[in-house]
Amino acid sequence: MSTNIDHIKEEHHHQPSGLMRWITTTNHKDIGSLYLWFSLLMFFIGGFMALIIRAELFQPGLQLVVPGFFNQMTTMHALIMIFGALMPAFVGLANWQLPMMIGAPDMALPRLNNWSFWILPFAFTMLLSTLFFESGGPAAGWTLYPPLSLQGGNSMPFVIFSLHLLGASSILGAINVIATILNMRAPGMTLMKMPIFVWTWLITAFLLIAAMPVLAGAITMLLTDRFYGTSFFTAAGGGDPVLFQHIFWFFGHPEVYILILPAFGIISTIIPAFSRKKLFGYDSMVYATASIALLSFIVWAHHMFTVGMPLAGEIFFMFTTMLIAVPTGVKVFNWVATMWRGSMTFETPMLFSLAFIILFTIGGFSGLMLAITPADFQYHDTYFVVAHFHYVLVPGAIFAVIAAVYYWLPKWTGKMYNETLGKVHFWMTTVFVNITFFPMHFVGLAGMPRRIPDYAVQFTDFNMIASIGAFGFGLSQLLFVYILFQTLRQPVTAADKSWEGAEGLEWTLPSPAPYHSFDTPPKVD
Amino acid sequence: MKSVKSTITKLSLVVVAMYGFSYALVPIYDTFCEITGLNGKTNEVAYTGSDIEKENRFIKIKFISNVANSAPLYFEPAVTEMVVQVGKPYNTHYVMKNNSTKQLHTTASPSVTPGKFAEYFKKIECFCFNQQTIDSGEVKDLGIQFVVDNDLPTNIGDIVLSYTMFDITNKVVEADKL
Repeated sequence: MSTNIDHIKEEHHHQPSGLMRWITTTNHKDIGSLYLWFSLLMFFIGGFMALIIRAELFQPGLQLVVPGFFNQMTTMHALIMIFGALMPAFVGLANWQLPMMIGAPDMALPRLNNWSFWILPFAFTMLLSTLFFESGGPAAGWTLYPPLSLQGGNSMPFVIFSLHLLGASSILGAINVIATILNMRAPGMTLMKMPIFVWTWLITAFLLIAAMPVLAGAITMLLTDRFYGTSFFTAAGGGDPVLFQHIFWFFGHPEVYILILPAFGIISTIIPAFSRKKLFGYDSMVYATASIALLSFIVWAHHMFTVGMPLAGEIFFMFTTMLIAVPTGVKVFNWVATMWRGSMTFETPMLFSLAFIILFTIGGFSGLMLAITPADFQYHDTYFVVAHFHYVLVPGAIFAVIAAVYYWLPKWTGKMYNETLGKVHFWMTTVFVNITFFPMHFVGLAGMPRRIPDYAVQFTDFNMIASIGAFGFGLSQLLFVYILFQTLRQPVTAADKSWEGAEGLEWTLPSPAPYHSFDTPPKVD
Repeated sequence: MKSVKSTITKLSLVVVAMYGFSYALVPIYDTFCEITGLNGKTNEVAYTGSDIEKENRFIKIKFISNVANSAPLYFEPAVTEMVVQVGKPYNTHYVMKNNSTKQLHTTASPSVTPGKFAEYFKKIECFCFNQQTIDSGEVKDLGIQFVVDNDLPTNIGDIVLSYTMFDITNKVVEADKL
C-alpha cells in the first residue's frame, strides 16, 4: 500500500500540462471530470435528436424528415442517451466520489481507468459517423431486433463494434469500481459502514459485469448471422428471432437497473443531508438494492409478453416483475421516513431529489401497469411504454445526476453555484419534463404506437403539448450549462463542509478537493 | 495489492463466463422449447418410431404456407384441410413453382399452432428436412408424411401446420464459392 502512495506522489511532479494532461491522466478526479463533461456533450447530442423526433411529431403527416431518418433518430437517441449520457455520467460520479467516500487515494486501477474513458470518444465517433453513410445510421431501434436489424444498411457492423467498445469500457470501469471498493476502504470502514452511494455502485458494478458480456454475445451472434453464415436468429437456417429477444433482454433488464441503482444511491445521500437526519433504514436500503439487482435477472421476458409465450411463462414473469415493486417500495418509504420530522431545507439538489421521488414513483406505477400481462397486450409498443421509461429515466436517472452535480459541485470546484438560478433551472426542468412526458400516457392508452413518424389526427393535441414541453426541457438545460460555467468563474468560497447536514469523508477534505486526497487513510469509527 | 489482483482475476472470470453463458443460452433455449413443446417447433429429423397406435378419434389438420421476404416463388398446400384419424399415417404435399428466371435454392421452416401440441405432430417424411433446388419455371410437389400421436390430449380443436419457404440462393452460392 505504502509503495503505491509513494508512486502517486512521485507522479505528481512530472505531470504533463495542456491537452496531454487529460489524455495521459490517471487521476480519479481528472477522469471523473472527463466522464462528466463527455456525458454532458452526449446529453445534448442525444437531446438534439429527441427534438428532431418531437419536431416531426408536432403535427400529423410528414413535415421535416423522411421516415427512414426518423427511425435513425429514435434508434440513435436511445443508444446515445443510454450508453453516452447516463452510463458515463454515473461512472464519472463514481470516479470523483468513490475514492473520497471510502478514504482511498485513488481508484485501484488508475491506468485502466484512463483507458475505460478514452475508449468512449472513439466508440461514439464510430457510432455517430454512421449517420453520414449513404445507407444512414441504424434504424431498427436500439434493441436491434432481428430480422429487421439484419436487413439494415452498412451501419450495422459499425454499430455493433461501437457497442462492443462501450461494453468493454463499462466492464473495465466496473472491475475497477469493485476492486477499489473491496480493497481500498479506510481502516475501520466495514461494508455495512460504507456510504449508501458506494453500496449502490458496488451492486451496479456487479450487474455490469454480469450483463454486458451477454449483450456482447448477442450482438456478436447478430454479426455472424449477417456476415459469416451462422443462423442463430435467421429463420431460413433454423434459427429463431425470438431467441435474440430473450438474450437481449437478459442483458437489457439488468441494464435498466444499472441506470437507476446509482441514482438511488445519490438520492439516499442527498435526502438525509437536507433533512438533517440519518438515512432511515440503512440496512434495509442495502438489502433492497441487492434484491432489486438479483430479481433483475429473472424478469426479462416482461419486455416480450406479446411474442407468444406460454401461459406459465407469462404468469412467472408477471409475478417476478411485480415482486420488484417490494424492494423498490421499501426504498421510497425509507426516503419518506428519512424526511419525516426532519429539519428540511429546499436547496436545488434537494428539490431535484424530491422531484425524483415523486416522478420516479409515477414511472414505477406505470411500470406495474405494464407488468400486468393481460393489460400489457393493450400497452405494448405504444406511447404508454415511452411515457413509462422516460419517467424513470429522465426525472429518475437524469434528475439524480443533476442533483448530484449541484450537491458535489462545491466540493469539486470549491465554488458555490447561484442558488436562485439553480431553483429556476429546477422549476423549468420539472414543469417541462411533465409537459413532455405526461401526455404520452394518454396517447399511449388511446393506442398511438411508438417509433412512428406520422400518426392518426386524434392524437394531435397531446403530441403538440409533448413537443412544446420537449423544446422547453431542452432549452432549460442550456441554463444548466450556463450555471455550470458561471460557477466555474466564481472565486473559491465554498466551505469544506458545503452543506450543513452533509455527512461523509469527502466533506472532511478541503474544498476544492485537493488533486491527491487521503494519502494517509483516515480512521473510521 | 495482492488482493486487488485476485479481485481482478475473479471478476475477469465472471466476464468470460457470462460471455459464454450468452452462447449457452442458444442450446438452453432449444432444449427448453423441445422439452416443453413451446414455440411450435416440430421434430427436425424424421420420426421413425413405431409406438403410435391407431385410435378411433379424428382431428382436423389445416395447412397454410408463407413465402419469406417476397421471394419469387409460388408455394401453396395441395389441400388446405384434412380430417385425419389419430395414429394413422397420411400423405399430402405442397406445390412450389419458381417464378424467377434463374435457378433457386430454398428451404422451408415448419411450425405448428397451437405450439403446445407440436410434439404430437410427428413428421415421418418432410421436404423441410432437406433443401430444395428448383429451376426457372419448374413446378415441384413437395411431399409430407405425418402421423398424429395418440398421446394427443382430447380437449383440443384443430391443428394448423404452417410452412415458411425461404429463398437461400445467395447463401448456397456463396458457400459453393468457398
